[in-house]
Amino acid sequence: MEKEFTPKIVGFLCNWCSYAGADLAGTSKLKMPPSLAVIRVMCSSRVDPVLVLRAFLRGADGVLIAGCHPGDCHYEKGNYYARRRFALLKSVVETLELDSERLQLSWVSASEGPRFQQVVTEFTEKLKKLGPNPMQEKTSM
Amino acid sequence: MKGAILKIENSIEKTIIEFLKKGLDKKLFDALLIPVKVPAGDSYAWVLVQDKALLEDANPLPPVMSVQGAKALSSITRRGKSNKKIAAIMRPCEIRASIELSKLQQIDLENICLVSIDCPGALPLKDYLEDTKKGIDTFKKVIKEWGNESVRPICQMCDKSVGLSIQSDLHIGILGAKNNEIYLIPSSQKGKSILEEIGIPAEESTDNWEKKTKEFVETRKKNRKKAQSTLSEKVMGLDNLLETFSNCINCHNCQSVCPICYCRQCYFESEKMKLSSDDYLIRAESKGILRFLPDTLLFHIGRMTHMSLSCVGCGACEDACPMSIKVAQIFSMVGDKSQKVFNYTPGKSIEEQLPLKVYEEDEFHEVEKP
Repeated sequence: MEKEFTPKIVGFLCNWCSYAGADLAGTSKLKMPPSLAVIRVMCSSRVDPVLVLRAFLRGADGVLIAGCHPGDCHYEKGNYYARRRFALLKSVVETLELDSERLQLSWVSASEGPRFQQVVTEFTEKLKKLGPNPMQEKTSM
Repeated sequence: MKGAILKIENSIEKTIIEFLKKGLDKKLFDALLIPVKVPAGDSYAWVLVQDKALLEDANPLPPVMSVQGAKALSSITRRGKSNKKIAAIMRPCEIRASIELSKLQQIDLENICLVSIDCPGALPLKDYLEDTKKGIDTFKKVIKEWGNESVRPICQMCDKSVGLSIQSDLHIGILGAKNNEIYLIPSSQKGKSILEEIGIPAEESTDNWEKKTKEFVETRKKNRKKAQSTLSEKVMGLDNLLETFSNCINCHNCQSVCPICYCRQCYFESEKMKLSSDDYLIRAESKGILRFLPDTLLFHIGRMTHMSLSCVGCGACEDACPMSIKVAQIFSMVGDKSQKVFNYTPGKSIEEQLPLKVYEEDEFHEVEKP
């Protein structure tokens, strides 16, 4: 029997909201697919598109950026900048006709354990349908 | 729009130089930043010059773009404003890059007078160096006929090299001028007062220049659309991208000649890109094969996210690529798309803020996943 495909997701979570939200989901013992590798960043706006690309081109099936809800940023406006950076990244990836569906930006607050669970579960389901990132196999030779 | 008209004596180049000399005489500017033929005679270098006598070999519109002018201007003013007045004579793409760099705080435009010139394009550096004599003749023909196919592919599709969109202080119009004349068109107070001081106030009609440049821009726009759709078919998509960049030798020339890439420490040259052998072995094992030097695609796509919003399509990268990868054409195509997302045109205006430095609270909800 073939093993079921579990996507690998790299998640950049902001220290103040989404990381705390992930922590809450954990301490609340909410069930989630074991698909997310978490990288904690001080703010979602710290995520240089290159970091996302690096994970993506190395074969991560999905990359998630999560930060505080707009208006709730610990640094007041970081997530607004993050959203612009992400819009730029999406545009570049779409123009290059790569799979921009594998990149996701979501807002999760520190109190939203169940929401974090939902974001991870839904993204994992979506990636399962998309299948493995073709970049894992591809090389120019 | 009003401008002054200069009668051409000898050649367009010499006429412009004579005009600039008058500016130096009248102390309207203390120095010029202008391309000058190098002693070997086969290329041009940017020269900061105060002495009129040294302008013999200067050329306001050389056949090639050896160093992007904005890079030259940035070297002079990146540590602060120039204390003397400098007139910088540049191609429109160099003007646009200068405006971007001033927004990125790498150029201080105080005391700088930007002088632009209608540009038919530049010859590919490689073609020109192979036979400079032939290159000079070809370029003469290019200026005469406009629309010549011997200019670089990126120039053939440039729709911002002439006309009203250029944000300099003073613009030199060639298109649509009578046979033995050129236009001097002021686009700022600085430019206007220079013409007044020299005694040729902008009082003549420039209608013909406006009409001709508009037509020219329309043709170029069509070229751009056509060229980009052909290129898109060949380059876009994972397999095509891998193939396109498989020739890359990781020299990073495209990055080091790019006027917009100003970072002192480039991510792609940092320690973060140097990994342990274990890391590479793991990748080689999972792929079956791993190419070295690695991560070329990451370098190029990463650069697109870093500089495409400010990419002015000057083509310096493509001239510098030893493997003849169509980097400028690819980068400017990606640039067009991302600039459109933010409704931003690099180099269009000094007031327009860089897209990543500002935000609206209520925007881009389409990229968020609720």
